[in-house]
Amino acid sequence: MAEVKMALDGANKDLSASYMMWYRFSRNPAAVIGTLIVLSAVIFAILAPYITPKPEDVGAVVNFRARHLPPDATHWFGTDKVGRDIFSRAVFGLRISLLLVIGVLGISVPIGTVLGLAAGYFGGWTERIITGLTNVMLAMPPLVMALAVSNLLQPTLMNAMIAITLLWWTWHARLIYAVSKSVASEDFIEAARIAGAGPMHILFREILPNCVSVISVKTTLDAAFVILFGATLSFLGFGVKPPTPDLGSMVADGRQFMPDFWWEVLCPGAVILYVTLGFNLLGDGLRDMFDMEG
Amino acid sequence: MSDALLKVEGLDVLFTSYGQTRQVLRDISFTVGAGERVALIGETGSGKSVTAKAILGTLPRNATVSAGRIEVAGRNVLELPRGERDALKGSAFSLIMQDPLSSFNPVFKIGTHLDDVLRFADRREGVKSSRAERRARIAAVLRRVQLADPDRVMNAYPSELSGGMRQRVLIGLALLHQPKLLIADEPGTALDVTTQDEILNLINTLVAEEGMALLMITHNLGVVRKVADRVVVMRHGDIVEAGPCAKILASPEHEYTIGLLDAVPPLYGPRVQTQQISAQAPIVSATGLGKEFGRHGKRFTAVKDVSIALREGEIFGLAGESGSGKTTVARMMMGLSRPTSGSVSVDGTPNPGRPLAQIVYQNPGTSLNPKRTVKQSLGLPLKYAGLTGGARDARMAELMELVRLPVSYLAKYPHELSGGQKQRVAIARALAADPKVLILDEPTAALDVSVQKTVIELLLQLREELGLTYFMISHDLSLMRNFCSRLAIMLRGEIVEEGATPEIFADPKHPYTRALIAAIPVVTDDEERHKPAVSPEERAAFLVKTTD
Repeated sequence: MAEVKMALDGANKDLSASYMMWYRFSRNPAAVIGTLIVLSAVIFAILAPYITPKPEDVGAVVNFRARHLPPDATHWFGTDKVGRDIFSRAVFGLRISLLLVIGVLGISVPIGTVLGLAAGYFGGWTERIITGLTNVMLAMPPLVMALAVSNLLQPTLMNAMIAITLLWWTWHARLIYAVSKSVASEDFIEAARIAGAGPMHILFREILPNCVSVISVKTTLDAAFVILFGATLSFLGFGVKPPTPDLGSMVADGRQFMPDFWWEVLCPGAVILYVTLGFNLLGDGLRDMFDMEG
Repeated sequence: MSDALLKVEGLDVLFTSYGQTRQVLRDISFTVGAGERVALIGETGSGKSVTAKAILGTLPRNATVSAGRIEVAGRNVLELPRGERDALKGSAFSLIMQDPLSSFNPVFKIGTHLDDVLRFADRREGVKSSRAERRARIAAVLRRVQLADPDRVMNAYPSELSGGMRQRVLIGLALLHQPKLLIADEPGTALDVTTQDEILNLINTLVAEEGMALLMITHNLGVVRKVADRVVVMRHGDIVEAGPCAKILASPEHEYTIGLLDAVPPLYGPRVQTQQISAQAPIVSATGLGKEFGRHGKRFTAVKDVSIALREGEIFGLAGESGSGKTTVARMMMGLSRPTSGSVSVDGTPNPGRPLAQIVYQNPGTSLNPKRTVKQSLGLPLKYAGLTGGARDARMAELMELVRLPVSYLAKYPHELSGGQKQRVAIARALAADPKVLILDEPTAALDVSVQKTVIELLLQLREELGLTYFMISHDLSLMRNFCSRLAIMLRGEIVEEGATPEIFADPKHPYTRALIAAIPVVTDDEERHKPAVSPEERAAFLVKTTD
């Protein structure tokens, strides 16, 4: 097989790496669908005030005449117990979810990456301390940890974000540690050291580029988990404060009216499903694109 | 030939990848008669392995056979249904796999592995067999591959056997069903030369005793001479020449074959490095170097009391098989690793703190960062040498010229380059900081023989132009004979023989040196005749055990 692969590699030399990646990506229907879903979610979230039928329903609006209306042409997802348009609120909820993703991953991914790179390359005490800390953090049940943090502070979006971030970097640290450790033993790392390169250059210019594919796949798949985790926290009442719409708290609010007013649970739930599915498909597509094994 | 066991006729194979279809085999036709030994030889990308896969029916999914026939024992296997085709495997032909380690699942014992193969084959043929009876059959086969204690081998995990023993088990695996045709894909390539020699002897013995036919896939012309009656030379998916082995090796007709034979460094004859360096002061000298690995009482001595004086301008070769400690010595001499005992001095200064030499690694595939362009790779040592802007660009262009690569290649990534081009980039990078000494760690082991020749020529020219000193580590004595001016032979951490290259080859003193030279597969009868004599006792004393 090695020989066959080599023959093919040789034959593909005239193709650029970006073309090969684009080819693999575009031939994967799941990846394309995932991209479209994520893109649509992002566009909806950004344009929420302009495209939702009743943006004012995001606030503390009460319209008892319109309460518990089933889905129809004006209220696509129906209305909730105080007569607010669920579709409008869900789109704004999506906005909160994506903000949470950006906040959590924007902080935890760089932290996890740097710690993982350092642990894998330096070895010794650096490795022991970082992996030890990672293992301790990983041993804590994430939900309990998040509840504790939210409880200590105020149940706000910011605190939910802090709670999730405190846990999330560990997964990245562990993953990047494994990649970094294997890349660090390659000849080209020693070659760079002999050339005179310092640790900063080796970590960020030599090893990091070899982790980019792993990081982007993991981050994309993580986005789905962060949304779910955030929704879980809100569902339990530790997330976003009412009346700010959040997909998790919307599901929690609607729960008491099941099964009669099913749309109050199912519609926000479907939005959660839609966006997490999108991120998962996109992550799988990226994995194929980078031609990773396993 | 009507009684051909294997007949390949007008075989065309296409590969489709990234929406492009490429023909990788064009009109391949050859036969293997009963009891005949045929070698398919070619370099990377020649299509020799694709041909073997087509015969075995193990082509990857994106490959299609677009024309031709493959007849095994008179039946076109390409038209057979899957089940019947599988039934042919084992009984009509079977495969000796290349890599003795990755061919076994590490969590199963050898006996379990072999038993599975036998059990599935029996089930396929509807034969009932008991475990004990299969075990007896396995033991018999292991004895045939000269493993004297089959019970011990069967109870061992793959990692507990030496490479040579694993290769023997793989051969045994192929013999389980008394096939009429053995297909061998580069057997022994991953092993040391002395072990490979024994494996080839074993294959020859088995083929002769059982009257089997052999189809050998290899890139090594010396192996061809040793095990084949007929040769089929392939290049880029075409057969360029085919005929009796003796004729092709002695008087090849096609220019590709001529070039290929010419690229093989000869073991006898005028092409020997004779240049001697007069008694200059040593540029690097090591005295009494020793290195131990391990801790907690379990210590392993990798290098014992090695003294080497590397003189300016010479090409010093440190030869040895895997595990001999040659790489450890080189790393200690260049300050990359601290010796447990002894000392290194550079230009008279003892124990320099920083590396004074640059290294050219064995595998350019792993010594260049795949995510960095040639320009970035070359730029690094220049940056630390204090060059910036225009001066750096000029130096880069100069380096590319030195290694005979177009300046436009600076923008390329390693995967866009061939193996030889990558190695040139690695050489350029090593030269960037103007080192006095280059360590060459098997610099051509990962390259095809014709590419090896051009890289070696380049290294010799660079040495002339830049006045470099080389310290080469290799297991390939015939290459070292043509390249190094002085040689030292290492065995189990010690230098057993040292001297000028022509003298070592003319009169090898140490029996291990003799055994090493004698084991090299050579291309001509002349070379074979001039190999040193090795008594069986000497072999037994110095070679790694491949049996038990």
